[in-house]
Amino acid sequence: MVVALAGNPNSGKTTVFNNLTGARQHVGNWPGVTVEKKEGICRWKGRSIRIVDLPGVYSLTAYSPDEVIARNFIVEEKPDAVVDVVDASNLERNLYLVVQLLEMGAPLVVALNMMDEADSRGYRIDVERLSQLIRAPVVPMEANRNRGTQGLLDEIAKVTDKEIRIPELIVNYGREVEEEITKLESRISSAGDLAKRYPPRWLAVKLLEKDQQIVEVLKAVEGG
Amino acid sequence: MRDLMPLAMVGPGCTVQIACVRGGMRLQRRLADMGLTPGVVVSVLNSQMPGPVILNLRGSRLALGHGMTMRILVRTV
Repeated sequence: MVVALAGNPNSGKTTVFNNLTGARQHVGNWPGVTVEKKEGICRWKGRSIRIVDLPGVYSLTAYSPDEVIARNFIVEEKPDAVVDVVDASNLERNLYLVVQLLEMGAPLVVALNMMDEADSRGYRIDVERLSQLIRAPVVPMEANRNRGTQGLLDEIAKVTDKEIRIPELIVNYGREVEEEITKLESRISSAGDLAKRYPPRWLAVKLLEKDQQIVEVLKAVEGG
Repeated sequence: MRDLMPLAMVGPGCTVQIACVRGGMRLQRRLADMGLTPGVVVSVLNSQMPGPVILNLRGSRLALGHGMTMRILVRTV
């Protein structure tokens, strides 16, 4: 079983990773500490879960190597669950990555980290309501005090055991764009195993964005 | 465009609204990914040379190079 840890830079991913695996990976209070993916094993209730710590990213475009590493892992390796570590004290910015993961149809669990920091800023987050809105589990955490780890593992297990299924989020891009998405989607769906490797709608959106890396992948599939 | 000016010209402590980004799709997309979208209100925390321009944007700080801030047009609020 494989679980990927994603999240914005400086949201506490590596701290969550250390809590889960008992590892002592270097944690620094600056963005970009995790430049490559790191792996560890979490033993929990007789299970052995492979935890992959992905580089911190703001989005899943192909802007930087970090983003490509994180995105390819989620799309191509298809982990059994993806945990997005979210900075609760900076929810607006962090929810952007949540939406992108939901659009990819990732089996998402949101780790709402730094709840103490959000509290001290006077934010009151309705965790249950947030979970209803994004239709994915949300677990409040204070990873620096190792609080919330058990709750996180419970929700991860529900997702990996397929007890709950996270629905793909369909963002409506307006009539003109939607028409093109539909056309591309049907072509992708009829193009052999492409649709098995990538979510068709997501691939269509990326093609419309002229995402360089995705364009290359498609060229290779089509054989030029 | 009359009342617009580059973000680079805004002094520390001032609050402005982002109007547009004069750049290619990559730059626009990148800045939007960081939360810098047209209409959003930002305050300039520091713009001293040398060093980056530091913004308060949606509750977090964002550092940008001076060159990039020349391409971001803002209006006063």
